[in-house]
Amino acid sequence: MPDANLQRPTSNDHLPLHGIRILDLTMVWAGPSGTRLLADMGAEVIKVESARSWDMLRSLHFLTGSPHGWWNRAAYFNHNNRNKYGITLDLQTERGRELALQLVATADMVFENYRADVIGKLRLNYDDLRAAKPDIILVSMPSHGKSGPESHHVAYGTNVEQLSGLASITGYPGMGPHKSPIAYGDPNAGAIAAAAALAALHHRRETGEGQHVEVAQWEAMIGNIGEHILGHQMGEPTESLGNRHISRVQGVYECATADEWVAISAGSDAEFAALATTIGHPELAHDDRFADVISRRHHHDELDAIIGDWTRTRSQDEAAHELQAAGVSATPVLKIPRLMENEHLRARGFWETVSSADAGTWDMEGPVWRMSRTPAHIRLPAPMFGEHNQWVLRDLLGLSDDEIAALDAEAVTAREPNLGVHS
Amino acid sequence: MTPPLAGVRILDLTSGVSGPWCTKLLADYGADVIKIERPGVGDESRGHGRFPGGVPHREKSALFLWLNTSKRSITLDVATPTGRAIALRLAAQCDAVVTDYRPSEAQRLRLAHDDFAAVNPRIITTSVTAFGQSGPYADWLPTNLTSYATGGQHYLTGDADREPLQNGGYQALYQAGTWAFGATLAAIWNAREAGIGQQAEVAGQEVMAAILEIYLPDYAYRKSEALTTRRGNFASATVGIYPAIDGYIGIHTMPKNWPQLVQAMDAEWMATDERFIDNRARLRNDDELMAQMFIFAAGVTRKEAYERGGRFRAPISPVNTVGDLLESEHLNARNFFIDIEHPAAGTMRYPVPGARMPSTPPELRPAPLLGQHNAEIYTNLLDLMSRDLATLSAAGVI
Repeated sequence: MPDANLQRPTSNDHLPLHGIRILDLTMVWAGPSGTRLLADMGAEVIKVESARSWDMLRSLHFLTGSPHGWWNRAAYFNHNNRNKYGITLDLQTERGRELALQLVATADMVFENYRADVIGKLRLNYDDLRAAKPDIILVSMPSHGKSGPESHHVAYGTNVEQLSGLASITGYPGMGPHKSPIAYGDPNAGAIAAAAALAALHHRRETGEGQHVEVAQWEAMIGNIGEHILGHQMGEPTESLGNRHISRVQGVYECATADEWVAISAGSDAEFAALATTIGHPELAHDDRFADVISRRHHHDELDAIIGDWTRTRSQDEAAHELQAAGVSATPVLKIPRLMENEHLRARGFWETVSSADAGTWDMEGPVWRMSRTPAHIRLPAPMFGEHNQWVLRDLLGLSDDEIAALDAEAVTAREPNLGVHS
Repeated sequence: MTPPLAGVRILDLTSGVSGPWCTKLLADYGADVIKIERPGVGDESRGHGRFPGGVPHREKSALFLWLNTSKRSITLDVATPTGRAIALRLAAQCDAVVTDYRPSEAQRLRLAHDDFAAVNPRIITTSVTAFGQSGPYADWLPTNLTSYATGGQHYLTGDADREPLQNGGYQALYQAGTWAFGATLAAIWNAREAGIGQQAEVAGQEVMAAILEIYLPDYAYRKSEALTTRRGNFASATVGIYPAIDGYIGIHTMPKNWPQLVQAMDAEWMATDERFIDNRARLRNDDELMAQMFIFAAGVTRKEAYERGGRFRAPISPVNTVGDLLESEHLNARNFFIDIEHPAAGTMRYPVPGARMPSTPPELRPAPLLGQHNAEIYTNLLDLMSRDLATLSAAGVI
């Protein structure tokens, strides 16, 4: 277990959200990805788990056997909860709820992404929170929203993508819908929720009023295909184009190494001429089959074969550099190991080294909101289970050592998760 | 009740998808967004469609109409010295400028953060691009495809025996826009609280690399390539898309949802079957489990599967089409679509912004006609006379 006398880490007082405290009741990916954005910016995010309700991402560790403290070693959890503090507090106990409300009284925001009915059962509704802190901002992130005939449904991020219509417009042409590899509904809702929380903060600054923000993950995803919602009403089709584009010569092409690809996109006549010249066929720009945008759309398959003959003699990096130098949009399709080696991200210092007592040391993506005068970094590794109990209970809530020991004895707090929950 | 961003003013120097999506969100939540468009041409999305009946019309493009609600449009050629000077005078009255210039473009136009900061020390310059303002790709030509490709998600999307697949629409550009929206608000907050003006930079590649779910973290930590390949429509038997009687359904089940899933499938025998007795057994027998999922899906309609999922609390969803959404009983009960009347494109149903803030409701207005607000902005904000406008117009500046 972590040291009970752990000092509160410092060095975030220059960051944009310094002084903002967030009680984070969210788990898995959607909520934590949102509060991570705010934690990166310096907000003091306190994540709440308990022995019987702990973050499922801790269980997705893929380590062989079950090494000691494996629940502190899952990278999926550790990436999404960095820069946060973590405590255990069983909200289903009266004492746990009472302490949570005491924390709410000191907080600016509360985030939750429970199933729509759970926060009511815990008696931690907006009105309950507001009684503890009149100007509190509550951000709820249920998949379907808290009202409406389907609000009792449950969904993970891939379901959200399917509900939203995005899966129906994704796919190889003519081959039916396709899923994103990631649970895309989650980080999308997280980014919207984080921004909406900041909008609510602006409103509080101007008026003194808090509010209850609701991000229905399904609805948040639909915005990203809004042009299709309008296009459908215009009577226009919404089929998937795969890698292609309505007006550009565009695709991914295999390179000299099998399953290594370069993405190429050329729109204007000038870009197409540059593409043709770069691949050693300047005559294509004058060929009747490819001379204008419309002809190129009709003969795209033939073009693909010619472009592919060229890319197969090169690496993805060589092809991309040659085409970009000629004024054509082209990039390597980066497999994850290549992504971590990528010259551009390396030059920008995107990867930061992080160390954690149980998990060790590795490289993680840094904060994506890059501020020129208040640059953010990874200040803290993700909290080990219950790591900051002592700091929160003693230093923030003023509990005595005896009271803290009693919480452990009554299982309001915990030092290890109940492992049966996610097996 | 005022919208949450009432009193925030934004100068919008973007075009296409990512920048306009960022400023649409700001505008829908109440910021006064002044969109600068090229005289006579306007935002490139005006040319992209889709269009009613397929007939191009710069005031009727679905992409433009969607991405520019609630903004005010002025025409201004910022590539001219006069146009640049006017843009800077407007920036002096704004909390933030949002640009999508690559560094070489910002330098050429002399519209980089330092130029805005010279007239407004507390200004935020949000820069939303594919590759950011530094590094060897900074001036590379961007598209949605190439942001998707360099962010790592493209390689993972699609079937193992086919080429990597881009997902639908402009997701890499939308994500960059959403993240730029949040970054802008964080920076404006800090400018108002601490008086710090600065550049807030969001690069699409980095956004996409930061949302690679388990795939990037697992590789970064374990250096195992086990989770770095394309897996088609199935992460595993219990996370995938299956064909149903009248379309497709999606299932996404974690270990704790397994009891509910077998109930929803009316296949409780699976709960006691040795092959599926716990999560390890299910992963070992993934093919056999997948066969059961195909059988279940083939025997239900999307609606039946969804209802069973709801009744038993199992994560099962229909793969909705765009048309399904507009007819959704649930979304309509929540008033998710509102009618917006546009003077050229007519009345259509628009989704409301994804975060509901009922005590500070947004007030959506139609996307502007090209230069619709020239008169009010140039005369009210800059004190130009109408004869000055005639001069600027004749010179091609507005």
